Amino acid sequence: MPPVTTLIVSLALLTAALIGVVVARPSITTTRGGKILAFLLLFFLPIFCGAMGVSSKMAQSETTAFCLSCHTMADYGKSLYIDDPNHIPAAHFQNHRVPPQEACYTCHTDYAMFGTLKVKLSGLRHVYIYYLGTPPAPQNIKLYQPFNNRECLHCHLGARSFEEGVVHTADPATLPAIKANKLSCVSSGCHDVVHDIAHLNDAKFWKEAN
Amino acid sequence: MASTNPLERRLQIAGMLLIVGLLIEAVCLLWKAPIAFIIFVALGGLLLGVGVVVYLLSLVSAPAKSG
Repeated sequence: MPPVTTLIVSLALLTAALIGVVVARPSITTTRGGKILAFLLLFFLPIFCGAMGVSSKMAQSETTAFCLSCHTMADYGKSLYIDDPNHIPAAHFQNHRVPPQEACYTCHTDYAMFGTLKVKLSGLRHVYIYYLGTPPAPQNIKLYQPFNNRECLHCHLGARSFEEGVVHTADPATLPAIKANKLSCVSSGCHDVVHDIAHLNDAKFWKEAN
Repeated sequence: MASTNPLERRLQIAGMLLIVGLLIEAVCLLWKAPIAFIIFVALGGLLLGVGVVVYLLSLVSAPAKSG
């Protein structure tokens, strides 16, 4: 457990215990000091704990472990270990081109204004379907919208390998089309091997050294 | 023990709501399943919000001291 979470939990429990004193002896709030204590315990600290907790939970919801905690996503987690440099998610995960602890979120967030909010709302929908609906079979899971190049360009834009890549510069129209999201990185026959979970049984896997 | 003073009674209600809300938030912070996030925000957040509102209402509805 991250130290910050431990700190927030400890503070929440301490606050709850101190509020218990106010509940047991509300008469202590009649004095000036008691009023200040009541304000801290019944207003400031609960809001502070709640805000810190939301921040901690939001950070936790961005972890790879969080995404893969739904068993529907297990095959997608396995696909990160496919031993094939042409497999885009696996190559990014294994070579730390994305933070491995936040591999899913890094590529599947929305790098636009209100993108994080949009992604979190989608996440709430996923949780709803997972617990109260009928989750699709892993191979039937599809993106809501085609993958936007913006998510790739968030890191690759300006990188030498991208800007001066042989294939990218062979035709002067290619780079502008990629940057305008008119030529998809992942579905134009170039970097199109993504989460190939249909062929997991035939795949060779990388074993991470601990 | 429930107080007979209306102001103190409201403070006790606010306190109890906040205690339950804080305990739910603490448990949800330790629980890593996605459902914990929903419970954290929906139930814990609701209880904390209502608790704080009851506390604030108890302040504004307290009778003013004369003299």
